[in-house]
Amino acid sequence: MTHPRPRLLAALILQGTLLLTDSMPALAGETQVAVIVSSRAPRVAFDRAMLRAIYLKKIFIGQNGRRLIPVNLPPGNPLRDAFSHALIDMRDAQLQEYWNRQYFQGISPPYVLGSQKAVVRFVAGTPGAIGYVWPCHVDSSVHAVLMISLPTPVAGPDPEACPANPQP
Amino acid sequence: MIAAWLVLIALAGICPARAASGDAAWQTQPYQLGQGLYFPQQRLRIGGYANLHYYDVRDHRTTLAVNDLSLFLTKDIGTRWKLFTEVEASNVLAANGGQSTRRDADIDVERLYVDYLTHQGITLRFGKFLTPVGQWNLIHADPLVWTVSRPLVTTAAFSEHATGAMMLGTVTFLHHDLDYWLFADDSKSLEPARNRDLAYDAFGADSSLRNNFQHAVGGRVLYHMLDDRLSVGASYLDYAIRQPNQRYRLVGLDFSWSGEHFNLSGEGIHRTSAGADVPAEYGGFLQTEIPLAQRLYLVGRYEHYRSSIPPQSTTVRIVALNFHLQPGIVLKLERRDGANNTRLSPSGWLAAVAVLF
Repeated sequence: MTHPRPRLLAALILQGTLLLTDSMPALAGETQVAVIVSSRAPRVAFDRAMLRAIYLKKIFIGQNGRRLIPVNLPPGNPLRDAFSHALIDMRDAQLQEYWNRQYFQGISPPYVLGSQKAVVRFVAGTPGAIGYVWPCHVDSSVHAVLMISLPTPVAGPDPEACPANPQP
Repeated sequence: MIAAWLVLIALAGICPARAASGDAAWQTQPYQLGQGLYFPQQRLRIGGYANLHYYDVRDHRTTLAVNDLSLFLTKDIGTRWKLFTEVEASNVLAANGGQSTRRDADIDVERLYVDYLTHQGITLRFGKFLTPVGQWNLIHADPLVWTVSRPLVTTAAFSEHATGAMMLGTVTFLHHDLDYWLFADDSKSLEPARNRDLAYDAFGADSSLRNNFQHAVGGRVLYHMLDDRLSVGASYLDYAIRQPNQRYRLVGLDFSWSGEHFNLSGEGIHRTSAGADVPAEYGGFLQTEIPLAQRLYLVGRYEHYRSSIPPQSTTVRIVALNFHLQPGIVLKLERRDGANNTRLSPSGWLAAVAVLF
């Protein structure tokens, strides 16, 4: 009996999750980003509103009672910019003001990891962690719980982009 | 309380975080103004704000003062508990008429509480916190507000602080976020010696009036719409203050709207007393911010307030410039004027440099 290679397994998991969480296929020219949690974590349902609340640090505890740890890519990263625009939809100044106000209440923005590879490794090993990566970076250590469509092209070259992702 | 705070800092074991190796480790961000200093191994963040104020208002000496030097400390304890405290040195330094004085310099614990994260939309808070009435009182740090002066409506009728227990969180209601706060205060038992919340804290105002709670219960909701560009809030308080010993009910409404070309916000309150001899107190303000250039804003505010002590109607008009020099540093210049405002918010020029660190 042969075992599927991790990347193939990831693709199968991803495909299954896609069917479960996002019945709308990506439109032509549209790119998608995978929201990932550890494959060791219990499967929980996410929707965009909940994910937005998690990334804005309005929700700290998940449905399973676990502390949620959203992680971001560095400021200026094209995927981060596109993800923030699609999910949070605040102007830069508005978002900056939001975090300043939260800081006064003891709440800081999500922690930052240096690359998508780092996001996958961190999320895989940290129960409660949530990250986002291009789908080609999803492997068997994590599973995608939601696919977010990016309605606008990702601005700027992204060295970690998947080969199939349209680049400007 | 200060001793308790010092003990908590000592327990936190403050020491600089060592950068961990491996690309999946926390990335220690370079320190930036306005974000605090984070110690990942201690899960501790230290920050704060400071300001330098200049006042030239009617019937008072021109004054240059460091009014606030505030230190925040946030520490995660386990996965469910979080400690937050703000210690503030107020009236630190002042120079007026060519003389330097320390005025009534004081160190005060502005906030000290622990949060218990119980459930997805429920946090329990115990300790001393800001009274959840209106948007200004909850976010009042100098670098985060548009003007040097604080509207009367945000201080005059209720205590800025409460001590007790609170339930707060965010839930989804009709596809939008709804923030809520419910609290009960027992300052009479928990902070019996405290009598410091000024009813009127504008420079040059009558500083003899206090409105510290004895007991209070209340709540607030804030509904976010249009991707947070519009928020509408409502507040309710039932409380007794110490002097004059009186029971009150207060309702408040507030909103803020962030537009493409200008912002608009406002708050209003109406307070009634159980005592027949105390008239109702009410008022509100409307404020707009208009971007003039990158990071430079023109601010205008109109406020009308009917106070019960002293029994008078006051109008305050403000035109100000607000310049975000860089993230974390704000410069403000303000002309304050009005009608019947000499006692509560006297006319004159005000300026500030405020730093969030």
